[in-house]
Amino acid sequence: MAAMQPNRLQQGGRIDRTRPLTFSFDGEVCEGFAGDTLASALIAGDLSLVGRSFKLRRPRGIVGSGAEEPNAIMQVGAGAAAQPNLLATQVELHEGLVAHTTKGWPGVRFDAGAINDIFGRMLSAGFYYKTFMYPRSLWKLYERLIRASAGFGRSPAAPDPDTYEHMNAHCDVLVAGGGPAGLMAALAAARSGARVILADEQNEFGGSLLACTESIDGKPAAEWAAGVVAELRNHPDCTLLPRSTVFGYHDHNFLTIAERCTVDAGSSGDGVASMRPPGEGVRERLWRVRARQVVLAQGSFERPLVYCNNDRPGVMLASAVSTYIHRYAVLPGRRAVVFTNNDSAYRAAIDLADAGAEVTAIVDSRPGGAGELGARAQALQIPVLAGHVVCDVAGRRRVRGAGIARWDGDCWDTVRSTIRIDCDLVAMSGGWNPAVHLHSQAGGRLAWDNSQLCFVPSQARQAHLSAGACNGRRSLGECLADGLRAGREAVSKLGMEPTAVEAPAAATVPENPIEALWRVPAAKDADRCPKQFIDFQNDTSVADIRLAVREGYRNVEHVKRYTALGFGTDQGKLGNINGLAVLADILGKAIPEVGTTTFRPAYTPVSFGVGAGESVGPLYDPVRKTALHEWHEAAGAPMEVVGQWHRPWYFPRDGEALHAAVARECLAVRNSVGAMDASTLGKIDARGSDVVEFLERIYTHDVGRMKIGRCVYGIMLGEDGMLMDDGVMARLGEQHFYLTTTTGGAAHVLGWLEKWLQTEWPELEVYLTSLTEHYSTIAVAGPNSRRVLESLGCDIPLDKESFPFMAVRPAVLADMRVTLFRVSFSGELAFEINIDSNFALAMWERVMEAGKAFDIAPYGTETMHVLRAEKGFIIVGQETDGSVTPVDLGMNWLLSKEKDFLGKRSLRRPDCLREDRKQLIGLLSSDDRTVLPEGTQLVEETGKPTPVPMCGHVTSSYRSACLGHPIALALVAGGRNRKGETIQAVLPDREPLPVQIVAPTFYDPRGRRQHV
Amino acid sequence: MADTNAHRHGLEPFLASVESAAEARVRVGVVSDRGFLTLRLDPRNGAATAAARILGQPLPPASSAYTEVVHRVYWLGPDEWLIETGANRAAELISELSEALAGRPAAVNDVSGGHVSLRVSGVDARTVLAKGCTLDMHPREFGPGQCARTSLAKAVVVLSVADDAPTYSVIVGRSSSDYLCRWLAHAARPHGVRFSILQDT
Repeated sequence: MAAMQPNRLQQGGRIDRTRPLTFSFDGEVCEGFAGDTLASALIAGDLSLVGRSFKLRRPRGIVGSGAEEPNAIMQVGAGAAAQPNLLATQVELHEGLVAHTTKGWPGVRFDAGAINDIFGRMLSAGFYYKTFMYPRSLWKLYERLIRASAGFGRSPAAPDPDTYEHMNAHCDVLVAGGGPAGLMAALAAARSGARVILADEQNEFGGSLLACTESIDGKPAAEWAAGVVAELRNHPDCTLLPRSTVFGYHDHNFLTIAERCTVDAGSSGDGVASMRPPGEGVRERLWRVRARQVVLAQGSFERPLVYCNNDRPGVMLASAVSTYIHRYAVLPGRRAVVFTNNDSAYRAAIDLADAGAEVTAIVDSRPGGAGELGARAQALQIPVLAGHVVCDVAGRRRVRGAGIARWDGDCWDTVRSTIRIDCDLVAMSGGWNPAVHLHSQAGGRLAWDNSQLCFVPSQARQAHLSAGACNGRRSLGECLADGLRAGREAVSKLGMEPTAVEAPAAATVPENPIEALWRVPAAKDADRCPKQFIDFQNDTSVADIRLAVREGYRNVEHVKRYTALGFGTDQGKLGNINGLAVLADILGKAIPEVGTTTFRPAYTPVSFGVGAGESVGPLYDPVRKTALHEWHEAAGAPMEVVGQWHRPWYFPRDGEALHAAVARECLAVRNSVGAMDASTLGKIDARGSDVVEFLERIYTHDVGRMKIGRCVYGIMLGEDGMLMDDGVMARLGEQHFYLTTTTGGAAHVLGWLEKWLQTEWPELEVYLTSLTEHYSTIAVAGPNSRRVLESLGCDIPLDKESFPFMAVRPAVLADMRVTLFRVSFSGELAFEINIDSNFALAMWERVMEAGKAFDIAPYGTETMHVLRAEKGFIIVGQETDGSVTPVDLGMNWLLSKEKDFLGKRSLRRPDCLREDRKQLIGLLSSDDRTVLPEGTQLVEETGKPTPVPMCGHVTSSYRSACLGHPIALALVAGGRNRKGETIQAVLPDREPLPVQIVAPTFYDPRGRRQHV
Repeated sequence: MADTNAHRHGLEPFLASVESAAEARVRVGVVSDRGFLTLRLDPRNGAATAAARILGQPLPPASSAYTEVVHRVYWLGPDEWLIETGANRAAELISELSEALAGRPAAVNDVSGGHVSLRVSGVDARTVLAKGCTLDMHPREFGPGQCARTSLAKAVVVLSVADDAPTYSVIVGRSSSDYLCRWLAHAARPHGVRFSILQDT
């Protein structure tokens, strides 16, 4: 072990030394323990170089220990289950884990792109905008090169084999963050009887308590945390979510949490998917939480300090150093320099010394040094250089030394007196930024705290409270007390009585105040000195911000976009405040005047998989099936998706292709009989004492004149006069109607009718009931359709006189109760059988059985379309697009002159009266063979200079088997008066085709066949 | 009149193909032979009383509630109720209600063919439903006697608590029932799920 994990401490940590794990990092076999993160195992293995920077390709190491890590971005896993864009500090180690660095070619240790660093002065902010603009013709090449070098990680090409799910949850109090404040808040709320959800992004609850030396109520902090967790687990209404990041705070106290449910078993090599069998278990879960109150307790992030070469591998946050030592028992360096402007980094120095490292100096910019912690450090004989700063770091792939100078606030004098101290670790602390991300996402305001030099949450906009370090509390005792306060306050706001809970006892260490140190000045001008990084992930340096200001950017949001400060997965967790401070300094403003950039979800990267949840594959969109679906499937019919319905498209016999099957089906209906499943039509029962008045207002025809037992074709218009929907309306009784709508319009029409009833005409007594699902509709069409029905046994006479065209009758057919309609969408003698869906399949089978004598053909949507187009019947949504009036369609005969109806007045607008509006006509191809593509544009003449004005377009187009030539319906400007004229259809990849304008009814124009 | 053997709820192909887990923490029962009626009336006059007399039970007056005496009557809106009863009783009930409500502002419709009734039970039933439903189903918030027209996954359902086992009743539109059962099978797979036919409950 010692050979492979040279930096592993002999004892301590929360790792399980009995469970050694093997993993691979960039193809090399490495070792760690259960309880490690990938980051801690890499540090244990002394693998300090984990990435290359975004633009300059500078070598980068691990800086932090959690969500703030900017550099250690890994591709984890292999094959389809690989995940890009993971932070090594957040990846739990497991046996067989495969991790790859995501930057550097050919590799992270030698990166050809590192040449960028040498020319780094040219690659300043705005470089891409300025350089790749010219010449414009080369942009396509530039784009390819830039894209190839951009991004962190590669998206797997194969479908994700894993399962993700969503979970909706409700609670009284959601606590985000399970550190000292979060645990106390959750405890206070749970003991008061509230429904609590406690979410923490780590595998264990406790947060900072897991890596500190302090004690609570006389117990080690981690032990105290375990006790609280055990109690919470026993509360039946408390849900504990470890490995769960609250990443979004949306309106109406709706929050989203990404939970990592199963740890990947990893992969044994390229191309082998995860060892956890795909589909077994759930990889990640999205919690969609509606919380009545939220306590935000996400802690705080330590700030880096800004000085030359502050990005070298081996420069770390001081608190991360402590975390690695205490929680993971790894020592990130043997010879350390600690650089700080506040007291907290002294803990790292003490921890390093206790763990056996040599701390060559604590470099403290404050002339007075630290409070009590300073005394403790001195007791350990750690040299403290008060009133000094680190101004440069030596080493390229690893820190080799630090340049240190006396600090009196004036750069030029101090830097000349730099001395160099050899070291392999620089632990830095520039103060603390409360993690205000969720507070800000919720719309909460921030206030600048001038004593702690950070933004703290102020006014909340939704029902949330901040507690602990993310509320600007510093010491453990303060955080515990603040968490307790927030928990009790949340419960009180809900009108519940908070149960008394004692604040646990923890020592408060007196501290000296932090000093503002936003940038350590360099020997040369910022543009010429070694880079002083602010945002490690985006390679934004002090020089870039200065450049942005020089080039005219003043607003912080503009500077952000020009320099990429706070972009990417990092979202400025480390760099933002330093960047604002540097900008404020350049602009000569105070930091609060400069303001902050906007915090947006997601707080940390979220996988696409968890966003999609179960809504993938067959569950992506609901499939609606008719009662006859299984028959259609068994008959081998391909399905056409109409709305969410799956409708049979055609019924191939003996391997027929589409056109052959449709031609056969069409001829069967024209010459004998066919049957179609028309169940998807919308069906509405309408009744009540005012139903006639209501329908008069909705439909365009004279409803009151309809006789009981008769049907009409009816249309309804929008208020703009445009055709909205059509269908058959039947009068079943004096005050009882049955309406059908289009398949796609069913829900909308019912909603439209209810809207008028409920909001505009509540005085009308009308009741609407949707019968779409209850009734299945079987259309039997063709000259032999009557004989088929008669052979089934029908209790009413079906002859022409007794049951004429457009009649409706209740009947018993094949011993089943039905409603029979003599309506036709094909122009043939036809019946529509409406039957309780529970018995529809039985009826269909009887129809098919009885039809055998006439070689009955089941037909699908394609044949239905051809048959109706031959008759010039429109389809709403195909011949119409929301800009077509009934007059355009030649439906003047449907518009009552004797009453008002919705849309009527709009039809008198000048635009609706134009003679040159597009009107429905038929088209015949001059060559008698070309089926015009639907959507084909029509022009008057060809050979004119472009742009050629278009006079119309093709709306429907089919090959007509019974006519023997193609037919098309089209909307053509002024078309109705142009019958016989020839216009040109513009076709792709060939010469325009002359087409003749004809009447839109191609077959049986007098409608004799349906009246037999 | 109709041959009862011809009756199909539409989930037969799904039930024939779905696999059942050996250990099921979620059970989904398809209640066969259910009858459904939609009742719309103005409750401000005698229509509600007349309907209640025929039903043998009061219409739930409160929003999002159901009553269960002879039938299950779900409140769907201020003037709209859904009645769930045995398939063989639906026709008779319709004619009785139609007769009693004749001349009053009311509408009764048979919608038996349009609905499928499911019962979801088992220790993880609530968890599985919560994956697809945004309602708060905590027993304090949603208990026996309450119902809601809501979404489960991407289907519109009438959801109610049948008993405090808990057993949830899910009434879904016929055309979406196959989709909903496939979703339930998927969502409940990690918990173990078993589908079955339940006779009239």
